[in-house]
Amino acid sequence: MEHAAAAAAAAQHAVESGSKVQDLAWAILVLPLVMAFGTAVFTPRDRMLSAAMNIGGVVVAFLLSFTLFCVFGGQSVDATPFHWLPVAGLDARIGLHLDALSTLMLLVVTGVASLVMIYSTGYMHDDRSYSRFFSTLSLFVFSMLGIVLADNLLMLFVFWELVGVSSYLLIGFWYEKPSAGDASKKAFLTNRIGDFGFMLGILVVWSLAGTLDIAALKEKLVANPALLGPWAGLAGLLIFMGAMGKSAQFPLHVWLPDAMEGPTPVSALIHAATMVAAGVYMLCRVFFLYTAAPGWPAVLGVLDVVSAASIITCIGGFTALFAAVIAVQQDDIKRILAYSTLSQLGLMVMAVGLGAKTGDASASMYHLVTHAGFKAMLFLGAGSVIHACHHEQDIWKMGGLRTRMPRTFWTFLIGTAALAGLPPLSGFYSKDEILAVALEANPIFFGVGVLVTVLTTFYMSRLLLVAFLGKPRGEGADHAHESPSSMTVPLLVLAIPSVMVAWLPIGGFLAHHFQPGHAAHGGDILFGPFNHNPIAAFFGLGAAIFGFSLAYSLYGNGPAADPLSPRLGLLAQAMRHRFYIDDIYDGLVVPLHNLLSQVADTIDRWLIAGLAVRGLAGVVEIAGRALRLVQTGSIQTYAFLLTASVLLIVLLALK
Amino acid sequence: MNYSLITLELLAALLGLVVLVADLWVSPTVRRSLGLGLAAALCCLLAFAIGSLAPQSGSAFSGMFVVDDLARYFKGFFLLAGLAVVLMASEFAPRLGAGLSEFFALTVFALVGMLFAASANDLGLLFVSLELVTVTFYVLNSFQRTRLASLEAGVKYLILGGVSSAFMVFGIALVFGMANSTNFNVLAAKQKELAGSAVFLVGLLLILVGLGFKIAAVPLQMWAPDVYQGSPAPATAFLAIGSKAAGFVLLIRLFVGALPQITAMWQHLFVAMAAATILYGSLCAIPQRNLKRLMGYSSIANAGYLLLGLVASSYTGTSAGPTAMLIYLGGYAFTVLAAFAVISALANHVEGDDIGGLSGLGQRSPLLAAGLTTAIVSLAGIPPMAGFFGKVLLIQGVLAAAPGHPELYALIAVAVFGVVLSLYYYFGVIRAIYWGGQSANLSTIPVALPTRILLGACVVGILVLGVFPQGLVKLADQAVAGLARPAATAAPVKAAH
Repeated sequence: MEHAAAAAAAAQHAVESGSKVQDLAWAILVLPLVMAFGTAVFTPRDRMLSAAMNIGGVVVAFLLSFTLFCVFGGQSVDATPFHWLPVAGLDARIGLHLDALSTLMLLVVTGVASLVMIYSTGYMHDDRSYSRFFSTLSLFVFSMLGIVLADNLLMLFVFWELVGVSSYLLIGFWYEKPSAGDASKKAFLTNRIGDFGFMLGILVVWSLAGTLDIAALKEKLVANPALLGPWAGLAGLLIFMGAMGKSAQFPLHVWLPDAMEGPTPVSALIHAATMVAAGVYMLCRVFFLYTAAPGWPAVLGVLDVVSAASIITCIGGFTALFAAVIAVQQDDIKRILAYSTLSQLGLMVMAVGLGAKTGDASASMYHLVTHAGFKAMLFLGAGSVIHACHHEQDIWKMGGLRTRMPRTFWTFLIGTAALAGLPPLSGFYSKDEILAVALEANPIFFGVGVLVTVLTTFYMSRLLLVAFLGKPRGEGADHAHESPSSMTVPLLVLAIPSVMVAWLPIGGFLAHHFQPGHAAHGGDILFGPFNHNPIAAFFGLGAAIFGFSLAYSLYGNGPAADPLSPRLGLLAQAMRHRFYIDDIYDGLVVPLHNLLSQVADTIDRWLIAGLAVRGLAGVVEIAGRALRLVQTGSIQTYAFLLTASVLLIVLLALK
Repeated sequence: MNYSLITLELLAALLGLVVLVADLWVSPTVRRSLGLGLAAALCCLLAFAIGSLAPQSGSAFSGMFVVDDLARYFKGFFLLAGLAVVLMASEFAPRLGAGLSEFFALTVFALVGMLFAASANDLGLLFVSLELVTVTFYVLNSFQRTRLASLEAGVKYLILGGVSSAFMVFGIALVFGMANSTNFNVLAAKQKELAGSAVFLVGLLLILVGLGFKIAAVPLQMWAPDVYQGSPAPATAFLAIGSKAAGFVLLIRLFVGALPQITAMWQHLFVAMAAATILYGSLCAIPQRNLKRLMGYSSIANAGYLLLGLVASSYTGTSAGPTAMLIYLGGYAFTVLAAFAVISALANHVEGDDIGGLSGLGQRSPLLAAGLTTAIVSLAGIPPMAGFFGKVLLIQGVLAAAPGHPELYALIAVAVFGVVLSLYYYFGVIRAIYWGGQSANLSTIPVALPTRILLGACVVGILVLGVFPQGLVKLADQAVAGLARPAATAAPVKAAH
């Protein structure tokens, strides 16, 4: 009887806590962590097995993500949350949320990560820390998936920091190079500044709204748009600071170009497709904060005329333009792509800000997705070139790679065309959405968008013409030959989404997420943009053609040195020096920071460590040593003390 | 009368005899594999103890011996600990010298004592089972006959253990004199009238002294550091886990289960004992350089934390305190076993137990280093390890009772202070493992497969109990729920279904 009852209870339990399809999200999240851990502990010396395990983990995660995407589409569901310490009054809940944003982002992260890992088997082939590389990549993927799936801000923040750490580990992967070590520190510290603001923002939200759960927060804000009152603007900006760090927006952009010191696959995965997109993704996740009623505390009364969203728009627009200008005069193939990434991220951030007016940030998210695909492809292509040219990164020492590396060239060409925004490649459709949003909201930013497109096409065409066409200008380029298929196949696979996107209604899918009532306008399918918003579409296309012709007129004949530099004169100098921003930081921020740290160090050394810590530790240590004297080791003493304590206990209890 | 209830104990005792006899036919070269065979047998016993064939709840021998959820919980606990200790001893075998099978047999006999203790519902059985444990430990502790420290440990444990047993048996006599029975159920029924009798109370206090000696609570802790340091590592591990838990199961059964009204009279005594034990263990551990001695002090401090559960129950009478104790013990077992598995494995390769000997361990054996680190971090009570969760529950139990009792807030402050102190000395060990400076010897340390499995299982246990404690919480809740007996009725304990 008892057994039957127990079995019935167990069955009941199984039904109640029965696994649901969305719980696959847990597997997606945990799989890379398990692989990272397994590699670090069990197979640090087995190169093949390490690579196979980590690639397998991420590929399975991708397949599971695809399953979830097919099952749920844009539906909003929660995976069974994990309750840690479910004892009276204690509940640390970790929950995963699936919706249009996160399922799409899951596909992007796991998809790009799988290809980058496969590519790395070729690229990192001769590296002695092969296993460490894969294990750290898996750790990164885990952290990134945590950001994507987090259903509350605290968890998001924790994974946000984990992404920071794994990025630090990967940028400094070749730690024996001083420049890599410096770059990793720079990236980490710059991000910390943004994260500090992010944390303050989370605290503001928590103290006013009383919850960090994103869905609950949204509900509360919808019910009461003035919930955050005068703090709405500040909370929005502080949270945006986090995005500023991760998505490298001016003035916290300085780390991203330096981060190119890391291995190229890392640049492709982290600094083009995923980590830098985390900022934009996070903004889209808490987008409702920016559509709520703006407000500022009395001290910041000056800001009353603007909203947090408009400040975000300005910063994004400025970063887009500023980075595009710098990219025009860079010679390092990876740095050109890095500034290009900055510029495109600027566009996305701008689109978030502009979208706040209409309540639709889908343009930004759309561009994020397409950009992740073609920018990862471009970076991997650059890696293939660097690999073939024996670690030569200067485009002026390349040339003529088209015939020597046909696969790399063709994929690079597709990537360039996508980035420039030529139909029917993916970049055209997503950038068109941004331009359309800008045209509706604010013509100035439409102008910025068009200008950025001109510049983008210009510097990308310059890169393509100089590096791949003409004659080889260097030893490395002369002897270059196509990379192994472990590297070129991922390139070809990555080209597929860039070409295919024109036929997929991703824009409408995302728009539906932000505005559920909004019917998909089909504006993103093939010729849609020309019907939907012809001005934006024609301007975008025109800008791309203009930029290309400009570049062709300058670089089409295979010059030996950049003909543009002497013409621009001082401006070219400034562009090469990234407008001296890093020097300004060195001159202003660093001394100030040193001064502050001197003061903090003095306080810490003398007051906290000296008086408080050492004083207390001294007392404790003396107490410990004194008590030790009791423990003489003499058995007579022990027996005496034992008897005495019996008397003590009896007296104490019966007094 | 239901003799089938003691099947498990009989099987275990039989196993011990079989090991002794088997020694005659096993050649010395393969004697270590005897340990593996024994471990396999213990696995079967464990499966029997937790499986559906295990004796149903009930009592036997005129209520002297009970099987209930609490007993089952601790029987599983002791069998697991014994299994781990046997595996450790096989790794430690070269240091034990001749008589390895005697060591195994004695371990099993101590285990039998613990199994009986888990079911003891009578002062007579309490005494006999504890003596079985203690007497075997006299031998186990001094097993390395050629090592002076081991002999010293054995002698100290013998003499001090003898003194404490004398007190306890005297206490039992006094209690029997007043209550005219040694059965817990009878004592429980009569506790109201007996509470006024000073002779009865003195007798009970003397029993408390005997149990306090087993768990190494202040002021009965003197023996622990010396004995922990001197004994062979597997014996120390069993002492730290098995003997201590035997003391606690009897404390819970007698003071929480049977005599809650008397316990409530001694609130301040328990508060003082817990606070003093935590402080003494933590403070003395600070200057320690010997790893086993450090574990001895750590064991004292942990006894103090466990006593928090008794304190909570003496104030509120609810089951939260004992439940927390059971959960804490569960995590503590894996933690201490992992630490001693590493110490045992190291003993063959590192001279002495000095913490300095750990330097370079991170390179010499990443596995041992990781295992010891996990254990230490769990001992320090850092999430998400098992040690954290147990400490939280214990402190929470006291906190729930605290309103209106300022001394409990002081006790919580002491407990938290003890945790802070413990971070200091525990992390000294971790520092030695990874940043211990230059070590002359960097040869890799080979680790046998059984030890690898044991260590892996312990680490997994520590993590699982820290992250998914629900299962253990449920078991502990169930075990403690069976203790509640309606006041003034002497009905035998029945497990609720």
